Order: sequence, then C-alpha cells, then structure tokens
Amino acid sequence: MSQPSQQDEIVAEQANLKGQQAAGIEPVIEARGLSQGQIVRKRFLGHSGAIVGLVVFAIIFLMAFTSVGYAGIPGWWKYTHEAVSPLANDGAPTASLWPLAWGEHPFGQDRIGRDLFAMTMRGAQQSITIMVVIGLIAGLIGVAVGALAGYFRGWTEAILMRLTDIIIIIPALLLAAVMAQFAGRRDEGSWFASFASTNGVLALGIFLGLISWVGLARLMRGEFLTLREREFVDAARISGASNARIIFKHILPNAVGVLIVNVTLTMSAAILTETALSYLGVGVKSPDTSLGLLISQNQEAFTTRPWLFWFPGLFIVLICLSINFIGDGLRDAFDPRQKKFNPKKARDTGSPLAPGQTPVAAQEGSAGDRAAGGGAASGDKGA
Amino acid sequence: MVTYIVRRLVTAALILLGASFLVYLLTAASGDPLAEFRASSSPNKQQLMDSRSALLDLETPAPLRYFKWLGGAAQCLVPFAGTCDLGKNIAGQPITDALGHALVQTLTLVTAATILAILIGITLGIITALRQYSSLDYGVTFMAFLFFSLPIFWVAVLLKEFGAIGFNNFLRNPEIPLPVAIGVGAVFGLVAIVVAGGDARRRVLMGGTVFAAVSAILVYFSVTLWFKTPGLGPVVIAIAGVGLAFAVTLLTAGLRNRKALQSALIAVGVGVVAYFVIQPLLSQATFLMIVLLAVATVLVGMGIGYLVGGYDRGQSMRAAAITSFLLGLLIVLDRFMQAWPAYFNNSRVRGRPIATIGAGTPNIEGDFWILGLDSFTHLILPTTALILISLAGYTRFTRASMLEIMNMDYIRTARAKGLSERTVVMRHAFRNALIPVATIVAFDIGGLIGGAVITETVFSVRGMGFLFLDGILHVDPNPVMGVFICVAITAMVFNLIADLAYSALDPRVRVKA
Amino acid sequence: MRFGRISKAIGVAAAAALALSACANTNTGTTPTSNAAGKQGGTATVVEVNAFNTFNPNTADGNTDINSKVSYATHSGFYYIDNQLNVVRNEKFGKMEKTSDNPLTVKYTINEGVKWSDGTPVTAADLLLQWAAFSGYYNDADAEGKAGTSYFSYAGDPTGLALTDFPEIGDNNRSMTLKYSKPFADWEIALGGPGIDIPAHVLAKKAGMADTQEFIDHLKGMPRGDAKAPKPVDSKLKAMSDLWNTGFDSKTLPSDPSLFLSNGPFIVKSVNQDQSLTMVKNKDYNWGPEAKLDEITVRYIGSAPAQVQALKNGEADIIAPQASADTLEQLKALESQGVTVEQGNQLSYDHIDLNFYGVLADKNVREAFMKTVPRKDIVDKIIKKLDPEAKPLDSQLFVPAQPAYADSVKENGSAAYQDVDIDAAKQLLAGKTPEIRIMYNKDNPNRVDAFSLIRESATKAGFKIVDGGLGASDWGKALGKGGYDAAIFGWINPGVGVSGVPQIFRTGNGSNFNKFTDPEADKLMDELIVTTDRGKQDDLTRQIDQKIWASAYGLPLFQSIGVDAYSDRITGVKFMPNQTGVWWNFWEWAEK
Repeated sequence: MSQPSQQDEIVAEQANLKGQQAAGIEPVIEARGLSQGQIVRKRFLGHSGAIVGLVVFAIIFLMAFTSVGYAGIPGWWKYTHEAVSPLANDGAPTASLWPLAWGEHPFGQDRIGRDLFAMTMRGAQQSITIMVVIGLIAGLIGVAVGALAGYFRGWTEAILMRLTDIIIIIPALLLAAVMAQFAGRRDEGSWFASFASTNGVLALGIFLGLISWVGLARLMRGEFLTLREREFVDAARISGASNARIIFKHILPNAVGVLIVNVTLTMSAAILTETALSYLGVGVKSPDTSLGLLISQNQEAFTTRPWLFWFPGLFIVLICLSINFIGDGLRDAFDPRQKKFNPKKARDTGSPLAPGQTPVAAQEGSAGDRAAGGGAASGDKGA
Repeated sequence: MVTYIVRRLVTAALILLGASFLVYLLTAASGDPLAEFRASSSPNKQQLMDSRSALLDLETPAPLRYFKWLGGAAQCLVPFAGTCDLGKNIAGQPITDALGHALVQTLTLVTAATILAILIGITLGIITALRQYSSLDYGVTFMAFLFFSLPIFWVAVLLKEFGAIGFNNFLRNPEIPLPVAIGVGAVFGLVAIVVAGGDARRRVLMGGTVFAAVSAILVYFSVTLWFKTPGLGPVVIAIAGVGLAFAVTLLTAGLRNRKALQSALIAVGVGVVAYFVIQPLLSQATFLMIVLLAVATVLVGMGIGYLVGGYDRGQSMRAAAITSFLLGLLIVLDRFMQAWPAYFNNSRVRGRPIATIGAGTPNIEGDFWILGLDSFTHLILPTTALILISLAGYTRFTRASMLEIMNMDYIRTARAKGLSERTVVMRHAFRNALIPVATIVAFDIGGLIGGAVITETVFSVRGMGFLFLDGILHVDPNPVMGVFICVAITAMVFNLIADLAYSALDPRVRVKA
Repeated sequence: MRFGRISKAIGVAAAAALALSACANTNTGTTPTSNAAGKQGGTATVVEVNAFNTFNPNTADGNTDINSKVSYATHSGFYYIDNQLNVVRNEKFGKMEKTSDNPLTVKYTINEGVKWSDGTPVTAADLLLQWAAFSGYYNDADAEGKAGTSYFSYAGDPTGLALTDFPEIGDNNRSMTLKYSKPFADWEIALGGPGIDIPAHVLAKKAGMADTQEFIDHLKGMPRGDAKAPKPVDSKLKAMSDLWNTGFDSKTLPSDPSLFLSNGPFIVKSVNQDQSLTMVKNKDYNWGPEAKLDEITVRYIGSAPAQVQALKNGEADIIAPQASADTLEQLKALESQGVTVEQGNQLSYDHIDLNFYGVLADKNVREAFMKTVPRKDIVDKIIKKLDPEAKPLDSQLFVPAQPAYADSVKENGSAAYQDVDIDAAKQLLAGKTPEIRIMYNKDNPNRVDAFSLIRESATKAGFKIVDGGLGASDWGKALGKGGYDAAIFGWINPGVGVSGVPQIFRTGNGSNFNKFTDPEADKLMDELIVTTDRGKQDDLTRQIDQKIWASAYGLPLFQSIGVDAYSDRITGVKFMPNQTGVWWNFWEWAEK
C-alpha cells in the first residue's frame, strides 16, 4: 500500500528546511560564470550513470514506439501485438548471437503464435505511456496543490492538506480495481466508461496519477514554505509583483530541482505499480498488453518457455533502472548547494582532488537527495 | 505539545471518517458481487443470487450500508465492551477474528524482513557515503536500483526455484565439488576487492585472503558434510568472539581504549564458559527463557565493563555488553544448528527443510529449537525477497543523509579539534544522520501491517494483504474496510509518532503548538 | 475468483452422473496409474486452492469445493460417484431401494452399527434433517421475501425433493420412505449421499429439544410451507435452521466437538486457520470403503506455479492445479523425479453463440461466420498441448465420452463446419461486410486467445470484428442483454441431463441468451423432460442437436482439460472429471 511513500516526503520536507542553512556557505567553484541552466546541464552530462540511463531509455523509447507503430501509424516491424502467425521454431526465439541473426520471431511467440517482440514493444509503449501520464498528472496537480498550500497558507493550506491526507490513505489497489471495472464496462453509455474501455492504459494512468500527486504536493508545499520567506520573494512583493508572478517567476524556478527529481522517481515507481496491478488482475487487460501483464500471464511458463517471462521482465528492469539513474543524475545536477565530501581530503587538507574524481560530478547529499531517497523508498511496488 | 497532539488526533479522526466513506463506496463500486452466478445455467440461479444479495445487503444503497457498518464499527471505540462489530466476510467469519489472524500472519512475515532491511540498508548507506563515488558506491547503487526494479513475484519465483528446491536437492548430498568451491571463493574474493578500501596492493591482498579462506571453508564443509550436521562448537565461538570483541571495541570505544578491549575480551571468556554451563538449560528452552537469558547476558556484560572500569567506564560497559550480546547470539545459533539434524530428519520435513509456501509445516511437533527452525525455513525466502526490494530506499536515504551531515560545519570543527576519524564518524556524524532515518523507520513500521499483497500471494501466506485482495475480488466491503481501518490508524499514529520523534531528536524542528 | 464456487459439487455431478454413467471414459493421461497397492498407514498432503471455512458444505455460503471435499472425506452415505460417473451404492452403510414406480417411492434403510464419532447411531432423523433442508418443504417465504420464512439456506436445486411428501419413518428409526408426486429421474442422487453430514441429535439438542424423537415429531406436526399463506415463524425449526445455516461455520477447530462429528473414514483433527487442515482416520468406521492412509493434510495454495513448486519441493503430495500447457509441461518435467501426471476432460466446454437478432439475424450471415471460425486451429493452439488427442467438440448436447455423441455428430450437420472455408463464407456474405461485436471474458486467457484466432480468420472473409471483451465481473452481467453479436463463454454442465437442455435452448428460457427459437425443437424438449427411458432420451436429444446445428446456432469449441499430479510417495490417485476431483477415491490413496 502506499503509506510509506508520502510520509517519506514529509521528512524530506523537514530535511529541506535544514538543507537551506547549509546553502551558500560553500561557494560552488565550478559554477563560476555559468548560468543555472548551464551548470545543471554540465553536471548532468558529467554523471555517467545518468547518461547511460538516458541512452538506454532513448533506445527503448524509440524501439517501442517505432517498431509496432503507435496510434494508428504503422511501424517497421512486420507483426503487430495482436497478429497471429504460424508457430516458427515451436515458438522459441529465433534470434541468435552466433551467427548474429534476428530471425522471424526474435523473442519467440506465445502459444497461439503472436510475436513476442511485437508484444513486448507494445507492452513497453504501454508502460512508458502510463509512466508519462502519471508523471505529468502527478506533477501538475502536485505542484498546483503544493504551491497554493505553501504560498497562501491559512485556510487554503488546511483544506488542501486535509484533502491530501485523505487521498494518501486510500489504497491504490482499490482505485485500480474500480478503474478496471470502468474499463470493462463498454456499454454503460457514460463518456468515461467508453473512454476507459477504448483507452485502458491511459485511463489507468490517469487514475494512478490522480492519487500519486500527494507526495509531491507535500514536498512542494515544504519548498514553498521555506522559499516564500526568502529575501528575494520579499523584494518581489515589495516591488509590486502579483502572487501569480511570484509563484511562477520567482519561487517555482527555485523548486524545480526537487520537482523534477521527484517526478522521475514517481515515474519509475509507476512502472512497477502497473506491473503489480496487472499481476493482481486489475491492471491492463488482454488482448491489449503491458509488460506487467506479459510476465504475470507467463509466469507459469517460467521453466518451460522462459523467453515469455524473461524478455518482458528484462524490459521492465531496463526501463526502471534507466529512469532511476536519470533521476539520480538530475538530483545531482539540480542541487546547487551540493559539494562532494571527501574523507581523504578532509584528513590531509591541501592535497589535490583524488584522480578520477572530477569536481563536476561532485555533488551529492542534501535535501534533493533525501527527497529522492524518500521517493525511491516510496516506490509502491505493491510488495 | 498536548494541544498539538489533541489537534492532530481530532483531524486524524475526521480524515479517517472521510476516507473510510470513500473507500466503502469505492469497494462497493469496484465490481459485481453476483458475477459468479451470472453465467450459471443452474435452475436455482436466482435463489443463489438472492441469498448472496441478502448476505451482502445489496438492497440497501452503498452510502446507507456504510452508515450501518459505521454503527457497528463505532462500538469498537467502547473499550473492553467486546461489542466490536466490523461485519462478517462472505465465508461467514467475523472480520474482527479474520483481522486478528491476518495480522499475526503478516507481522511474522514482515517483521524480520523490515528489521533486517533497515539494519543492512543503514549500514550500506553509511559505508557508501563514506566511500562516495568509489567502485563500492557504484556497485551498491546499481544493485540497489536493480533489486528495486525487479517485480517481486519474479524474485519470488526465482528464489523458490533456486533457494528452496535447488538448495534442498543439494542438501540431499551436500558435497561441494572443488571447482564450485573455488568459484564461490573467487566471487567472494572479487567482492572483497571491491569492498576493501585503500591502494591496489591492499585490495588484492584482501581479495586473495578472502578467496583462500572461503574456498578452504567450503572444502572443509564438503568433506565433513557440514550442511547435514552443522554446528559452530566452542572453538569457533571463541575465535569469532575474540574477533567480535575487537570489532565492537573498535566501533564503540576505539582500540586505544585498552580497558574497553579488556572488558570485551573478558566478556568473551565468560561467554565461552557459559556456553558449556547453559547447554542443558538450553535443551528445555522456551521463548521467554531466551529473552531472559538475553537480558541477563547484557547485564553480565555491563557488569564486567563496570568492574573493569577505566577512564571511561561507560565505554567499557557498552563494549562488553554489546560483545556479550553478540556472543550470546552465536551460542543460540550454535544450539539451533545442533537441532538441525533432528529437524532435517523429522518425518514431516523429510529432508527438504527450505519451504516454498506457508508459515510453518502443518502438524510439526518438537521443542523450541525444532519449531524455531521450522519458522526459519519457512520465512527465509519471503524475508529475502522483501529485503532485496526494500533495501534500495534505506540505502539511498541513509547515504544522502550521511553525506549531508559530513558536509556540516560541526564535523569540520570536530576534525579540526584533532578527533580521530572513528570518533568523527561514529560520535558526530552517524548519530545525526540517523535522525531523519529514524523517522522514516517509524513511518515504515506504521505501514507494515498493510501487508505485502504480492509477497503474501506468492508465498501462500494469508495475511492482511490477502484479506484485502480477497475482499476486493468478492466485492465484499467488510474485509476491505477492516484492513483499511487497521492500516490507516496505524499509519496515522506512527505518522504522529514520527513527527514527535523528529522534533524530539532534532531540536531545530518544532511542532506547531 | 477464477476457481470460484461450485454450484454444489454433487448437484453438477448429479446430472452428469446420470447422463454419463457407463460411458465417460476419460483420458487417463500418459502415465498409467500403477496398481501396486500401497501399504497401510502413512500420511499425504493435498493442495487445495480455497481455505476451509465451514463444516456444513450445503449452505449457499458454504458450498465451496474445499468444504465439500472435507465433508466428503469425513462423512458417508448411501452412495458415492466414481470417476466413470457411475453412482456406486454403499451397501455397508445402508440400503436405498425403489419400492414402487408409480408413484415413485424410495426407501432408505440405515444399517445397524453406523454411528457418529460421538457414539450416537446415525438414524433416519439425520436423513430427515437432510430432507427438510434439501427439499425446502417448510419454506413459506414469498418471492419478495416480505412475508413468511425461509428456513434452510440450501445451495442446491430443491425441485426434485419438492415433489415429495413428508416421509414415513420406520424400522425403529432406521428407515425412511419418500414418495414422489411425479416421476423424478434423479431420485438416486437426491438424498442420502455422498455424505449425511449434519447430525440431527446435535441440532435438536442445541435447539432445546429433548432428543431426535421430539425432532421427528415436531417436523411431522408441521404442514408444508405455502408462500401464499405464510405462517408465523416456527421458533424451534428456525433455531435449528439457523444453526444449520451458520452454526457450523468455523475457520478453526471448534472447542465443541459436536460441531465436527464424523461418520465417515476420516475425522478432522486440527484446523490451522487459512493454512492447513488435518484429518486422521476414524477408528470406528467400518461401513464403507476403508482408507489406507492414517492422516490427510490439506494445504491451501492459490496459484498454479506455487502448487507445482510445492510438489517439486516435497511440501505437497497431491495437487490439481488449474490446467495450462505450461503447468502441464512443468509437471511432465517432474516425471523424472517420480511424479505422476494425469489429465482428462472436464465437464465444461467453451463455445461461441451467435445472437438470433441484430446483424446476425440473417441466417446466411450466421452460417458465413461459422464457416470462418477456426475450430481446429483453436483446439491445436489452446488444447493440443494439454491433450494431444484433442479434437473440436462437434455436438451442442453430447460430449465425446457418450456413445450417442458419435451418432449425433454424423447426422447433426457439424461436418459442414470442420474446416475454415473463407470462400464459402464470402459467397454467403455476397459482398456484405457485417460488423460483429464479440463478447468474452477478458480475464480468461483461453477465451482471449480464441477471440484473437476467430478475429484473425473472420476478418479474411470480410467480417469487421469488434473486440467486445469485458472484465471478469462484467461479462456475465452482459450475457443476454444484447450489446454484442456473438459471445464466447462456457457451460459447466455440457448439455447433459434432461433439465439442462431446455434451460439453455428452449424459447425464452433463462439461460437462452442468444434468443434461439425453433418451435419443433421446443416440442422435442417438452417431450424430453417427461421421458424417463434412457434410449428414448438419447433419440430425442439427437434430434434436438440436429435442429440446433441446422439453425446455425453457433459452435461448440472445446472441452476443458483437467490435470492432477502426485509425488512418488503416493499411489492410488485417479483423475475425476467432476468437482470432487481426485478426492473421489481418497480411501485408495496410500503411501508406497
């Protein structure tokens, strides 16, 4: 259930209050003469884990969306996830490393002859869609609620935060079950039911998005609570800026690091949530497919036709890993306060940096990291 | 402070009311309770549907049914009246009973896993923070994210296949071929190279030693069929005890504190003597006795430390107490190992000890040790699975927290004073880094009883998660509400505790009165 | 849940048993059971899906398969049903004889020495209690449930026993005679078996009666319930029926031993809530087949892979997981470690029904559609891996195990739909491209796959196939409501038993979801119901089958396959097609 997730964020919130004090004490040397954007980009590109993650994710993304086509646009792969073709090689994968060959069905086929590569790609599409939808919705609502509550305080805050409290304790599994219900009802006539039945994945993503914003909202509220007390906000207010301008132009850019980091981690958790829900039978429904559904459908094939189990699983792990590493890199990149702690340097002061440790890559460990750490802990795997 | 708590509790109650109403409606809307009869061609289909409708009171609209339920649930607030009524599930069992049972199941499943995940996670987090951007750090980060990314039912299936079935097959004839022993040794050696700090020479030396030691031990195990009749014996306990004494002293007091080391070593000596003395006593062990012995062990340790004294009596006492506690654990472990052959050959176990399902062997009979081993063999797989996937959070969180602390001014001050690195890390950094982690732990414990739906499903444990899922599948709001209320209340209480603890531990954070 | 409740194990088996008796020879799998008689004594662990929750499996809320199985092992009666679906009499328990054909009269006599595990003899009072509960004789609640009382909440079908009058008790309370007002084909399995499971003396005592005699007298004094003229509640009967309905519900072993009395080969020894249940041999029992094992433990495991792994790891001895090709293959792989795998046909089959209204109202379109359904392909891909001999089912009313099946198939017209004939379908369509919405259960992989294959093939002939699949909890509701043109689903009772046929195929009947109507077929069905002669029944059924096929009703697809497997420690387990499963001959189970 989803309890631990958001609670972690409260701590992150408080940690944030604290991190503020450490800020600015250490002048960040490598940032001299660069704009904020340049610094972030430079740091991100210097984070090898994040770059590898980004490349892997880009490849998967391109493969998934171009191979089997998307939204009616045909792809370059000869099969679709629904097309049935005669069993070749008894359904086993035809791809081989030596001689390097792709074959007719590189990942194999399921029992009625659907191409597993096409299905995996379709599944990856669905998983990525869910991830993006959840990220967008959770991000938007979370920022809006958090900003309003943190900036205006008073009644707005009380009402919004109590609302978050209520949503926090409603189990995701239950909502997904209700969602699955709607997706199953085609003929009820309501616009929502018909939307849900034709766009099962989108609807599921929206539903999950509608409950995953709470953690982010709490975190953003914490950011806003500290930032609104800062001098530059006072300055803006005195010079007559409107509330909207202060929120969007002055505070939000300063909170964007925490925001992006947390959204990426919500997204990687979202993939696992989808997997767990499909496993429990309340996620995506066949004949459409998702990575989670594929492995849960084929778990019986684990020892007999392992490819049905391993390929989709591999893609889940790859997507998740790459998103986590991208998030890790973003976290490092976005936190201007960070400085690398070096015990050796601490011991014999004056010695140069240890070889191989670029100062660029040297940020870690403050509020942002915490938030993300909390986010990672929060991954509702439904475990 | 009191106003704050009262206000929090009142808000919590209101939130609970609102959320429970929502959850009830959602559950009622989540499916068709009569689905299983719809496609039936049975002549008395209508009768069956009517009886199910009556059972679930489907005639009443869901919002009204909620208030009926609330009426029963409200009686739970009357203490000691025993009128608590959360309704019944489809099987006709009162939810209060079902919850009680499920709670026990879930707690046995998740408690050990959570404690271990926290301990291992924090340790790894601190080590990786101290060695930021080392190969160890990257390795741990990668593994943590990897395990975090694995779907748990996947992990569970793999664990069952290799951890249970494979290991049990191995136990039939526990001989380790030489190449395997060397291979395993090599893996451990490599890990040691990564873990060990320092220059290349030290690392290789370390790796080589570990490789040789592990391979040798495995060969020894194979030759003596150790896995059939495992045991430590007083010699191993004594050697391990001395090692422990040094390690504990190093961490708590520093090896320079001779008195502390002395008391730890004395504690080991006493422990080894006690090993022989309490063997007959242990044969009639009960859980209570083990707890009492543990308390006694710690007290004896403290006593030793007190008597040895030294310039810092407290440190000596701590070192001796921790050492004797760990030594006590070793002795208990040894006793469990002594019981292993009996358990292994038990007619219910039939030489396949590691279980894939359930929480215990049905109808097994035996003393404390046999039953303890039985729980252990059943819990090891789900516990491992849960640890693997929850490790990431703790590791990353502790690492971040530790790094932040290490950048603090007071750490620099401490170093400037000339304190040893051990003192800086253990005394100044470690404790402060644990403050935010402690609150996270409180939250997690609050969320614990929600159960682990998928883990329970895969390992056939019928705990809270199963109850909840089963309720949803049957579109029966009563069990769902029961689980929800339990989870929500604990979550909110621990939420409050965490906030209070945070302000208590960190004076800079104040609760708004 | 997928494994769901059964609509009373005996109920379904009942109809099946009568229709399939002396025929149903199921495929006994690749490894023939060794007949080596196992030794006396020993233990076995059986895996079940659901957890045990009541000692009375006859109530509407208690009739899950596991409760019925535990009850079956701990109680005995006048008969049991074997895996050839014959009704086997247990003369050691008592005698059940038809004393007259007109009016149909059945006399039940319980032998001396048959007793409950508390020492009380099993008497006609126990049988009378079962009759009172199963017949609904005293119920006088009206349809809305506003007036009158419904006493026993019985899960089964009361229509047969409702034809009887209050029975005659005789022979010092050892016999009971039932008189039916109309002939009733299923009289053999209406009462008294496979277990007489609720002790009347316990119920009587708890309801405040002195002894079973008072109970008998009390029932005798009550008139038949009449919904039109409801009587005030009879408090004693109400107390008893309440106990009957819920008093035996327990997830743990009750502290009161009278709640789990046994009169069968085994007696429940311990119940570990939601984990396991253990039964040990009933030492007194000698009135029926005697068990070889000393102890049977039941453990609950939900998922098939977990069951297989438990068997592989020696934690379970006998499993019957939900069949799938992969599960079967995994089990086959275990044969090397001595596991025996058995498979066979079950009594359910999947079929596609075409609506007789909407786009498919035109018979030509229905026929064209049927010509595109790749039945062979569906069987090859979905069932062949489970049963290499599997063939498409070719009759709407018979299953291959019945002798009448072969004859019926020859003349019912199914030959026209053996292979996909896209050209013929195109001809019948004559250039039309009808849009067909196919409804099925999205959560059932077999139906999803069948749908995918049908869509693939039908599209070639010009049909526009719309995916009308619904979730597990919605498709049942949608049946018969329209909103689709064709439906893929299954019947558990494959058109056997005379009462099942009109239920599904007669004009306007409850389960006639596709509005099939044929006056001649209706007439034949009316005749069928009142025919008691087996040969004549088959004749009529064959004719109805022909009519159904001729009207392009839809197509039966395949029979479901069941699987069970047991470890090398155990012998004597045999496949059984109905819901009793491997339990049917638990007394023959033995340790090797």
